Amino acid sequence: MRLIATRLARQLVLVPVVAVASYFLMAALPLTTESDTKRQVSPELAASYQRDLGIGEPFGILRPWQKLFAGERLGTSAQGITGDELLQKLSGSVGVGLVALPLALAWALGFALLRTRWRRGRWAVLGDALPAIAFGTPVFIPALLLAPSVVERGHLLPELCAAVVIAIWPGTFLGTLVGDALETELSRDYVRTALSKGLDPGTVLRRHVLPNVWPALLDAVTPVATALLAGSFAAERVFGLPYFGQLYVLAVLNKQVAVVVVSTTTFATVLVAVSLTVELLRVLVDPRAREARA
Amino acid sequence: MNRIPLRAWVGLLLLVGLGALSLVAGRLFPEALAHTCPLGWDLNRPDRSVCELAFGGLWVSLAVGLAAGALSTVLGLGVAALARLSGGVTEQVLLRAVDAVFALPDVLVVMVLQLAGQSLMDAGMGGGLGPFGLMVTSLALVGWAGPARMFRDRLATLEGQEYVAAARALGGGGPHVLRVHLWPMLRPFVLAVFLSRLPNAILTESTVSFFGIARMEPMSLGRYLGTSYAALIYEGGGRVVIPAWGLLVLLVLGASLASQALGGGTRRQV
Repeated sequence: MRLIATRLARQLVLVPVVAVASYFLMAALPLTTESDTKRQVSPELAASYQRDLGIGEPFGILRPWQKLFAGERLGTSAQGITGDELLQKLSGSVGVGLVALPLALAWALGFALLRTRWRRGRWAVLGDALPAIAFGTPVFIPALLLAPSVVERGHLLPELCAAVVIAIWPGTFLGTLVGDALETELSRDYVRTALSKGLDPGTVLRRHVLPNVWPALLDAVTPVATALLAGSFAAERVFGLPYFGQLYVLAVLNKQVAVVVVSTTTFATVLVAVSLTVELLRVLVDPRAREARA
Repeated sequence: MNRIPLRAWVGLLLLVGLGALSLVAGRLFPEALAHTCPLGWDLNRPDRSVCELAFGGLWVSLAVGLAAGALSTVLGLGVAALARLSGGVTEQVLLRAVDAVFALPDVLVVMVLQLAGQSLMDAGMGGGLGPFGLMVTSLALVGWAGPARMFRDRLATLEGQEYVAAARALGGGGPHVLRVHLWPMLRPFVLAVFLSRLPNAILTESTVSFFGIARMEPMSLGRYLGTSYAALIYEGGGRVVIPAWGLLVLLVLGASLASQALGGGTRRQV
């Protein structure tokens, strides 16, 4: 229990750290200068930035959060956003990520099984080539290639296409890890014993091998979830999906400092929630993890 | 020579070949390339051929990746050495800082750092840091955590060896053991980690440039691809997107092959 509490505390502390760091970074930006030639924003706009961030006010750091919870609009232009809109956009991105996760897991499992089978055949080179191509392909490239059919001609569902393109890299990454774990497990004595007793290979795989592979899969799920959510930024931008990634990129491009602070912290909170969920799942699935924590 | 695996040689040769190709085609003789390019002209930049933009972008992406990879490796090495030398509470605090930075997605943090850096530059407070320097610094500030964690773990493993215990028993201090006994064993691993940072840096830079947030000129591969939406709509994109994509894949493949092979090689040696 103590170990779980320590891990929980380590994860949770990330949220206030990100909130404070992003706030002070944005508050320190030289949004106004004394020279007209170097001025980035008008004095009125600079004043509203200062109001948004509560600069010069006591407990000004709480100002973006007060506005958020009071339902007021964060930001100074059309990109300004209320708390409800932020949650709505976040739910859109998380929804795309939730569709992408099973796609990535299915692709990972399929790729791992194929890679194990290819290992000794003439297709072995594909087992190495596919990850190399996937790792060298940023999300925006398959998204760009699909974009004419999705955006211009409306032939395909943008959300589903976004989920498919953001699942490619995480799926391949997980598949490589699971493939390695599968290979290690398949070479163990208990597999040979089970096969020699007459069990068919499918049953051995399902009942004996896969339960031992789940922990390796879960270990990699947190970075994969991060990649899925971050990858959705690029996919949303290309497919024009009006969700969290699009909001974040526009906030950065338009220097919506209060929106950047709140969005960054919200994103860190989502990552922490994912990480804690995976940690709990690991305790449920892996008996060794339970014993280590007892 | 014999210790370096074949895969590492293939990866390194691929990287050096791409670097030489981008130098010759993108930097030294761009005019010759412009007249012989079989892929024609870019729709958005009718004064430039697709080959010029692709190989010029390759040169920029490679330079950003090498500089950012080197800087983040040096930073990570410094943090790991500091953590092991100080030990105790300082090491724990540094490790928690590493965990915190590592948990955040690179693309998001680089975007925020670009916003901050560009505001400073616009206000004349950039300290001579151009868009290239800003991108390299942003990538290094995000990318040091991974190398720091790997170096710290590797140093902890190496410190468990008998010869290190013997050096300590003979009165060798922390910095002496680190410099004389641990560094020679760590060197191949440092190269492997540096090469593993290269694809991360290149892909993160490409994604951020694709969003239009980085202002690098000449354009990197990511920024070039980011401007090719019109070509995709009107032509299907193969002529414009696939060459740049292929170069990006080859770049990452070379770095990954070399990094994995060298990392595996050093593990066997320890």
